[in-house]
Amino acid sequence: MLRSCTAGLRSLWALRGRREGAARLSADLQPARRLFSTEKAVHKDWALPNPSWSKDLKLLFDQFMKKCEDGSWERLPSCKHTCTYKSEDFKTYFLDPQLVEGEGLSQAQLFTRGFEDGLGFEYVIFNNNDEKRTVCLFQGGPYLQGIPGFLHGGAIATMIDVAFGSCAAISGGAVMTANLNINFKRPVPLCSVVVIHSQLDKLEGRKLFVSCNVRSVDEKTLYSEATGLFIKLDPKKSST
Amino acid sequence: MLRRGFQMAVILGHHGTLPGATHLLPRFNPASAFGSSTESLVSRFCQEMTKTKNYALPNASWGPDMLSLYHEFLEKTKTDGWVRVPSFRSNRDHIRGFKLPLELSANSDKSDWRLFTRCIEREGQGFEYVIFFQPSEKKSVCLFQPGPCLEGVPGFAHGGSLAALIDETFSKTACLSGEGLLTLNFNIRFKNLIPLGSLAVLNVNVEKIEDQKMYLSCVTQSRDQQTVYAKASGTFLQMQLEEESSQQ
Repeated sequence: MLRSCTAGLRSLWALRGRREGAARLSADLQPARRLFSTEKAVHKDWALPNPSWSKDLKLLFDQFMKKCEDGSWERLPSCKHTCTYKSEDFKTYFLDPQLVEGEGLSQAQLFTRGFEDGLGFEYVIFNNNDEKRTVCLFQGGPYLQGIPGFLHGGAIATMIDVAFGSCAAISGGAVMTANLNINFKRPVPLCSVVVIHSQLDKLEGRKLFVSCNVRSVDEKTLYSEATGLFIKLDPKKSST
Repeated sequence: MLRRGFQMAVILGHHGTLPGATHLLPRFNPASAFGSSTESLVSRFCQEMTKTKNYALPNASWGPDMLSLYHEFLEKTKTDGWVRVPSFRSNRDHIRGFKLPLELSANSDKSDWRLFTRCIEREGQGFEYVIFFQPSEKKSVCLFQPGPCLEGVPGFAHGGSLAALIDETFSKTACLSGEGLLTLNFNIRFKNLIPLGSLAVLNVNVEKIEDQKMYLSCVTQSRDQQTVYAKASGTFLQMQLEEESSQQ
């Protein structure tokens, strides 16, 4: 089962723990100091307030930024483009590295960052490295609709996957999603803000078991609960 | 009976989270609930609409694999009873003439809001897909070609984009097979990455309908079935839509 997973690997949430100057992918997980000290071109950080952020989202953001002051929490910057020209390290994980160098990829962009302000995924992730948990503040915009007036289940699944990935990466470094299981309790009204609390439940070898809940800002409404299994990528495995 | 009531309470939010919902119990008659035949559901929700753009049609971005398999299924719509499901920019267009159950209708949507899997307008950049439904077997096939805006790992589709499309295919299949409306549970096991621009085929089946819930399964694989990309299962809650009365 693990072998078939590694055959077509997917580490969605970048590679934490890489050396300075090493390849950076969708930089949802790069600590701030690494990003700004090593990048020649400064890529815009999308995990920061913009005019489309609602009052709720900004308020929560400020609360968590305060928690970052003593170093117990850290905000993860988030890059829009996957830097394919720098993904040397990724090639060692893939069966067919040529796929990564394909033409036309320069127009590719990270799925969750490919929208104009406010239309798609507005989110920011805060890590608590000691407690191995993350909080993702998420505001789903009008292009993420499912049933009229509500957020699409697939959009929630995408954000849960993002939140899980960050959480798993704290302990596992380069990780990939193996399984996701989501229970939807209540539909999420479109354009509202939700808070996704994720934690690492168990670490077994290369398997990371994570769980999360998705709640309203006042925590009174539970929208969904989910569990996931992530696999730590094995740097020793060759690409062929 | 109790379970059904509980589920409705859960959906309705007994914390009062759905504003404007004054009735806690839906007005459905268990005897006739979900009695609409698949044929009537298909004719209700699969109407081609002249004024609204149908995205489930080939465009210049479709690769040869997608095109040829599309044409194979198009033939089957003529000979074997398959239905090509139209795809509009918003689900509101799919339910014209009907409205959501009261509990869900409190949140109004705006006309420029978009269905997630139709969020990217530019041809070939996002979700290129078409769903074919076989009413007699309650199964669907979705042809999916992910564009560069769906990228996760460089060169490959983001797992969330596949999860979204599987949920969407589940949703349309559940709706046509028996008024399945809301996702209750979604489970996905990723096996392999889908290269951007390539064709992935989603095979969806309704496994069981029981206690107001529909259970669906999906296998996503390459056209030649040599590569399995993911396996998924979903549970949907059946909820009837109400006809819009002429006095609103």
